[in-house]
Amino acid sequence: MRKWGIVCALAASAALSACVQTKQYADPQFTLPQGSYKLLVLRPDVHVGSLTTGGMVEPRADWTEQARTNIIAALRAQQAALGGNLTIVERRNQLPGVAEQELADVERLNFAVDQSIVLHKYLGDYLPTKRGRGLDWTLGSDAVKLGEKTGYDYALFLHAEDSVASRGRVVLGVIGLAGCIVGFCAPNVGGAEQLDYASLVDLKTGEVVWFNVVDAASQVPGIKFGELRTPEGAAQMIERLIGRMKPGQAVRRAEAVR
Amino acid sequence: MCGHCLELTRRSLLAGGGAAIAAFQTGVANARVRPADMVPLVGPGFKPTDKDEQGLWEEMDRVEEEIAGSNLLVDDPKLSGYLRELIGTVGGPAAKDFRIYLARIPDFNAMMFPTGFAVVFSGLLLRMRNEAQLAGVIAHESGHFLRRHMIRSWRDQRRKTDIFSIGAMLAGVGGAGAGVYLGDYVQLAQLGTILSLFKYSRDMESEADAMGAKLIAEAGYDPMEASNVWLQLIGEEKASAAYRGKHRQRGSLFDTHPSDDARMADLRADALELKVPGRIYDNHRARYLATLGSFRQTLLDDQVKLNDPGASEYLIETLAQDGWDGLLRFYEGEVWRLRNRKGDDIRAAQSYAAAVVYPDAPADAWRWHGITLLKAGRTGEAKAAFAKYLTMKPNAPDAAWVRQMIG
Repeated sequence: MRKWGIVCALAASAALSACVQTKQYADPQFTLPQGSYKLLVLRPDVHVGSLTTGGMVEPRADWTEQARTNIIAALRAQQAALGGNLTIVERRNQLPGVAEQELADVERLNFAVDQSIVLHKYLGDYLPTKRGRGLDWTLGSDAVKLGEKTGYDYALFLHAEDSVASRGRVVLGVIGLAGCIVGFCAPNVGGAEQLDYASLVDLKTGEVVWFNVVDAASQVPGIKFGELRTPEGAAQMIERLIGRMKPGQAVRRAEAVR
Repeated sequence: MCGHCLELTRRSLLAGGGAAIAAFQTGVANARVRPADMVPLVGPGFKPTDKDEQGLWEEMDRVEEEIAGSNLLVDDPKLSGYLRELIGTVGGPAAKDFRIYLARIPDFNAMMFPTGFAVVFSGLLLRMRNEAQLAGVIAHESGHFLRRHMIRSWRDQRRKTDIFSIGAMLAGVGGAGAGVYLGDYVQLAQLGTILSLFKYSRDMESEADAMGAKLIAEAGYDPMEASNVWLQLIGEEKASAAYRGKHRQRGSLFDTHPSDDARMADLRADALELKVPGRIYDNHRARYLATLGSFRQTLLDDQVKLNDPGASEYLIETLAQDGWDGLLRFYEGEVWRLRNRKGDDIRAAQSYAAAVVYPDAPADAWRWHGITLLKAGRTGEAKAAFAKYLTMKPNAPDAAWVRQMIG
C-alpha cells in the first residue's frame, strides 16, 4: 500500500513537472494594434515530428503541413476578430514590389535579433544596459523601408515546433512507470514538447515591439499539452502565443492611473 | 557477500574490456568497400515515398532556399555552369537532379544534402590540381545521394537509440527486481552505441569513396586522381602542423570519416581495380585552369591570408608540380612576406623577382617587386617596375601615390 502511495506521488510530481510556460516582453510604449491595421506574416516556420523511442525528433512532412494549415487558419480567425488585415507570405518571392533578396535580408536580420532577444531575455545572460527598458531591440531602417514599400504597419514572425510521442516512447514511459513497483521509478523520460515563439515588428519605426515564447513540455510520454496537428491545438497555441498580447509597461501604468 | 561483489566487478571488467577491444577492432580495421559492389540505390527523378524520408526532405526545402540565396555564394555563371556540368557527368542516374552551389570559404570541403544539392567550398577548387581530382570529390558527394546515406544513417541512429533506450530501461527495472545494479553495463552499452554510430558514419564515407571512384572511372577520368587528393591533403596537414610545432591529428574511434591515410590507401586499391589497361586517361588540367580563370587569384589570395604559412607553402609547391607560373611565384612571395621571419624579406624579394619573369604575373607582383627593389637601393629598376604596375592597374587604390613616387 505504502509502495503504491509513493508511485502515485511520483507520477503526480512527474506530471506536474511538465507544464506550459509563457513569458512575453514588450516595448514600454507598445500599444496593442488597433483599428484596421495591416499585418504582414513572414513565412511561418513550422516543424512537427515524431518523438522516437530513443528520444530523437523525426520530422514528419504530412504533420507539418497539417499543423501549418491549422496555425494559419487559427491566426486568421484570431486576427479577424481584432479587425486586423492579414497577409501571409509563404515564399520570399510572393511579396509584390519587394525583391526576394531584400525580404531574405529582413528575415535573416530578424532571426539574428530574435536569437539575441532569447539569449538576453530568456536564457539568463541579462544585459545591465537594457534593465528596466522592456524590449529594446530594433531591425532598423531595413524594416522601415519594407513598411514604406509595402504599406504594412506590422510584421509578425512566427516559429512553432512540436513533437508527438511515438508508441515506442509511450511504451518506454509505461515500462518506467511499471518499474516503480520494484523501486526503479522512471516514468518521466520526456514526452512531447512544443516550443513556439513570435516577434512583432513595427514597420513604422523598425522596432521589435513585442516578443513571446511558449514552451509546453511533457515529462511523461503520452501526456499532452496541446497538439498542433489538430485545429483545436493550433487555436490554443495561437491564443497562448498571440491572443494574450499585452501592451508595454508604461502604457499599462498609464491605463491603471486612468 | 563481498567476495561475490568482487567476482561481479571482475567479470564486468572483463566483459567491458572485451567489448571495448571488439569496438576498437571494428573501428580501426575497416574493410575496404569494393567499387564493383557499389550500385546506385536511386534512379532518375527520385522522390521519397517513406514517411521518415519525406520528413527529411521537407526540412531541407528551406535549407536549400537559404543556401541558394546566401551572400557567401560565388556569383560566377561560368563557374557554376561548369560545376553543374561536372556533377552531370559523374552524378550517375541522378545526374540531372543535382544542384550544386559554390561558397567562398577558403577551406577543403564539399557536402551533399539529403535532397540532392551539394555545396562546394572555394578552398576545394584551389587544392585541386586538375578536373579529374575535382570530379573525384564531386563524385564522392554524388555517391552519398546515390547510396541514400542520409536516410540510412538516420534510420541507423533511430534503431540504435531505440534499442539502447529500451535496453537501459529494462536493465534498470530488471536489475531493481533482481536486486543487482546494472548501471555500469548500461554506461558501457551507451559507449558501444555511440561508437557504433560513428563506425556507421565511417562506413558510409567508405561507400561514397568507392562509389565515387567507380563514377569517375566510368566518366573517363583516371580514378587514381581521387587517391592523390588525399595524398595532397595529408601532406598539407603535415606541413601545417609542422610549422606550428604540432603533430597531425590521426583517426580516432570518434571520427565521422575514415582517416585520410585509410582513404588514400583504399582509393589507390580501388583505382588499381578500376583502371582499364591500355586506356588513356585525360585529367583535363588545361580545361580546369581555363575555367577557373582569374578566380584562381582570389583563391590564392584567400588562402595566404589564413595565416597558415605551412599549409600555404605546401599548397603552392604542390600546384607548382604541374609547372610554376607568375601567379604561384607571386603568392609564394606573399607567404614569406606575411610570415615575416628572419630572412623572409629576401625570400619574398626573390619570389617577386621570379614572378615578374612570367607573362601572367599579376599587377601586384610588379608592385611588390618595385618595393623590394626600392629597399635594396635599386631605384632605377624599381621605377620601371612601378611603371609596369601602373600600366597594368591604372586605377589601383595607391596609383596616385606610386605615380608621385616615381616622379
